[in-house]
Amino acid sequence: MADARETDNQDAGDSLYAVRQKVYPRAVTGAFATARWAMVWITQLVFYGLCWLPWNDRQAVLFHLGERKFYIFGWVFWPQDVFYLSILLIISAYSLFLFTAVAGRLWCGFACPQTVYTEIFLWIEKFFEGDRAKRMKLDAQEASVGKLWRKSAKYVAWIALSLWTGITFVGYFTPIREILHGLSSLTLGGWEWFWIFFYGGFTYLMAGVMREQVCKFMCPYARFQGVMFDPDTLVITYDEERGEPRGSRRKGSDPRSQGLGDCVDCGICVQVCPTGIDIRKGLQYECIGCAACIDACDQVMDKVGSPRGLIRYSTENAIKQHWGGRDILRHVLRPRILIYSVVLCIICVTFVWALATRTPLRLDVIKDRSIISREAEGGMIENVYVLNLMNMAESDRSVQLAVSGLPGVSLDGVDAAIVMPPARNQSLPVRVRVPMDELEKGSHRIWFELRAVDDPSLLIREKAVFIVR
Amino acid sequence: MSEWMKSRLIVILWPSFLMAGMAEVVFFTFIDPQQLYLLGRPVHFSQTATYSIGFIAFWLLCAASSAATLFFMRSSAEINPQPD
Repeated sequence: MADARETDNQDAGDSLYAVRQKVYPRAVTGAFATARWAMVWITQLVFYGLCWLPWNDRQAVLFHLGERKFYIFGWVFWPQDVFYLSILLIISAYSLFLFTAVAGRLWCGFACPQTVYTEIFLWIEKFFEGDRAKRMKLDAQEASVGKLWRKSAKYVAWIALSLWTGITFVGYFTPIREILHGLSSLTLGGWEWFWIFFYGGFTYLMAGVMREQVCKFMCPYARFQGVMFDPDTLVITYDEERGEPRGSRRKGSDPRSQGLGDCVDCGICVQVCPTGIDIRKGLQYECIGCAACIDACDQVMDKVGSPRGLIRYSTENAIKQHWGGRDILRHVLRPRILIYSVVLCIICVTFVWALATRTPLRLDVIKDRSIISREAEGGMIENVYVLNLMNMAESDRSVQLAVSGLPGVSLDGVDAAIVMPPARNQSLPVRVRVPMDELEKGSHRIWFELRAVDDPSLLIREKAVFIVR
Repeated sequence: MSEWMKSRLIVILWPSFLMAGMAEVVFFTFIDPQQLYLLGRPVHFSQTATYSIGFIAFWLLCAASSAATLFFMRSSAEINPQPD
């Protein structure tokens, strides 16, 4: 890592980032490329598809900014539920730590939107312009009708995909059917337009133009992921001992007799690299762990008749001490990993437990400040409150409101049973009365109780202050 | 635009974008835009507009901070007039 930082600093010089040399990644096939494409399909089917899924007569997953409510399948989350969001963020962070400590930048290589969209954009580019060599030739060519056609077709496809991505993204915050209706009838709000172009524009810019520069210069995770690595972390490694000295050789000849290692120096590992690095120089912070070089090198090794795995997933310790797969696996269970796993398990269990026992009712009591305490007919003292009743579930619920905590305390101006509309909050002014002779002057504690009619075990108590003057 | 300008712009705009995103989430989680007052009057924009304006305002503020950092990081060689 230290070496990588030095070279980066030298490259960057004063300008904070190097003058870019365009990277033309060569398409690659193999087990890891297949895994990455599987992740592209899974993540994008979820992303483009989930916003169309209906649930309870609404969008299944909708972070409705207009209503300040998050709908996630059967759940409705309110701003009061920020607790769940923060636990979810902690879970994501810890999972990232755990995966990184075990197998390096799995997230970057297979699941990060930057990788996924770059992969899709590269596929489109390859479809119109051909693979690496053809693209380089095309870029070097003088302007022609063929070049114009290929380039514009690619740009049109990129723009269309970016716009659809923008629409889909905004569709998670405003119902997507409303957006499409707004688009077709030209009644879409200005801010929705703005965010569609903003997100679509950034998709285009990052996946079509900037690509590996995002990982190298913009990603915060790329900068600190190194601290989660240790000598037992699986990383993409070039087996220097086996490969060197590298050099070309005649097919079928014995490299050892020529004093050569297994590396034929074909350079394909560099050509397939999306960040344009040479993995044979060792682990570098630019490496996003996509394993394209493993797939590429394995194919070359098959062709020249050497065993696969000259570039492979391995650990620093394993390379040094010539461990096999079983030794590497045994070192996965080290204290760091165990601690991460235990903490992650505890947080996940807490999250599920909190979600399962979440009460679907909420009650907030606000004391009316203009009327602190007053006398009512029949020798009663009266205090006024505004109750904020919240039904978090998506069905009507009948509740009973009661008050307790003082002798003779009663509610006035409220029906015994209240029907709460689904996923709404309502304000309810109530008067609480206590017989005057029962009380001394000062403040007294009372309790409001909200009990669900259909489920008497569902009871919420909220304390309040009753003042006598 | 020169490479120098481009790299400065990215260094100003990108970290402030990340921070503005975080500020936006934290701020509007705790504060309902319908409860905000603008120059003594209740805000009557749509929720989407309030969120969007809020984000852009956060972004500008954070960008100003990044720009100030860069401005103060100039070395004396950059500030003193260069003899030709």
